[in-house]
Amino acid sequence: MWPRARLFLQEALSSVSSNLSTTIAATMTVLIGMFLLGLFIALGTWVLSWTNDVKRQLVVNVYFCTDVTCEGRGEVKRSEIEALRSKLVSLPQVKDVQFISSEEALEIQKKRTPGLVENLASNPLPASYKITPHKGEDVSAIAAQLEPVPAGVEKVNYGKKEADRVLQVAKIVGGIVLTGSLLLIAASILLISNTIRLSIFARRREVEVMKLVGATNWFVRGPFMLEGIITGLIGSVLAVILLIVAKEVALAKIVERDWLSNDDVTALSFPLIALILVVTSLLVGAAGSGITLRRFLRI
Amino acid sequence: MTDTSVETPVLTAPEHGENGARGTGSPMIVFEAVTKIYDPNIVALRDVSLTIDKGEFVFLVGPSGSGKSTMMRLLLKELEPTSGRIIIGGRELNRLKRSKVPMLRRNLGCVFQDFKLLPNRTAFENVAYALKVQGESRAGIRTKVPEVLGLVGLASKMSQMPDELSGGEQQRVSIARAFVNHPPLLICDEPTGNLDPDTSVGIMQLLYRINRTGTTVVMATHDREMVDKMRRRVIALDEGTVMRDERRGSYVA
Repeated sequence: MWPRARLFLQEALSSVSSNLSTTIAATMTVLIGMFLLGLFIALGTWVLSWTNDVKRQLVVNVYFCTDVTCEGRGEVKRSEIEALRSKLVSLPQVKDVQFISSEEALEIQKKRTPGLVENLASNPLPASYKITPHKGEDVSAIAAQLEPVPAGVEKVNYGKKEADRVLQVAKIVGGIVLTGSLLLIAASILLISNTIRLSIFARRREVEVMKLVGATNWFVRGPFMLEGIITGLIGSVLAVILLIVAKEVALAKIVERDWLSNDDVTALSFPLIALILVVTSLLVGAAGSGITLRRFLRI
Repeated sequence: MTDTSVETPVLTAPEHGENGARGTGSPMIVFEAVTKIYDPNIVALRDVSLTIDKGEFVFLVGPSGSGKSTMMRLLLKELEPTSGRIIIGGRELNRLKRSKVPMLRRNLGCVFQDFKLLPNRTAFENVAYALKVQGESRAGIRTKVPEVLGLVGLASKMSQMPDELSGGEQQRVSIARAFVNHPPLLICDEPTGNLDPDTSVGIMQLLYRINRTGTTVVMATHDREMVDKMRRRVIALDEGTVMRDERRGSYVA
């Protein structure tokens, strides 16, 4: 096994160096394809993460009755608040239920608009539940569960219009990212395997000669596939290096850091992207050579 | 062709009678009613039956399209006959599995009009490739390749690339590659077709010497002068059928 592997490696390396121009062309193709793919994966996953973050901000607010707001029913009772909590917690879409007392509501309001609450004689704000769903899409379903409004509740609000817009935009962005990366993956696979095809096509007579002097299919295929793997490896490693440079130098200068510093919004981790690129190009390199050779091996 | 019974002893020359190299009596190649029809309806060989004995030197002559190359390619199992049987060294080619074809070819030397050398490889590496495909050791390669290149008279040009060699020299490299395994059978498809007459004589002498070591040589050719001079067995094909088969033949009847 090992002498043969060494022989294949020698054959592959000598063929890389004696067909230097095609090797460079193939390596550049891998480099460009994988650089673009890496860029798109990083950008795409970042955008997806951003839309998810926006979706996470979708909540259902349940406002409880105060003396003033619910005429004739009076202020909400503690038992009603507890009853509603246990109902909400049992809903599968609900991730978290947070109680905000009227005092806390006032604090929050104070922070947001100090001028507005300065001169209030008493606290007009109701107590409320802030319900966080597992998925942003579920806010309307949760709201529907609270129809008609339970006892002690003044109103249920989830910003219907706004939520619908956010969800729609997120859907479109997700679709664009998905189709974009599929297209890009397909394009780079086609591009790389096409370059490999051409380089093998240029050497199909060699394959014929090898077969005629008694080489087995694997003896011909081995060095060619290894060559494809070497090309894929060099090209994708170069692409990863270029991506690192782009990330560390270009991105840092173009975009202000603090805008990106939201920890909830991140791209797919860089080592993972690098791994995807290298593995993809290794597979395409090996499979591209192997599949292209099939036609010429039938001698 | 992996069984050793097929191998002719390479160092003992077969008996030579009045008529030059003749067969030893046991068949090397047998064609039994072989027909080859290419799609859609071109008949390349029509019901060809012949026997070539071990140690023979046989010319295959005939105009272009008479079926010479088809016969060569059938022997290499590059093509399958439409009907009939081909037996080489006691082994029936139709029954040979695809995976065994490389084994067959390692025991058949082949030489072509266009040399079919690997570009980007030196003369040494081209010959070495035929050994590498069968897992020959590096030590074996280092001794056998210079030996056979010396035999064809290219000892001083081992590290030249094919495009640095003349046509005759390239053909010598290709003969060295075909002969390095000492195959019992050498198939030559117009080996002198691209060479000038003087160079052709050198190549023919080389093939003759190889034949003297006991290797059966089958050579398709257009070279009338050569055939008439050598006075060996001549099989003449025309439109896919055997027109003549003479022990001491000439190019034309």
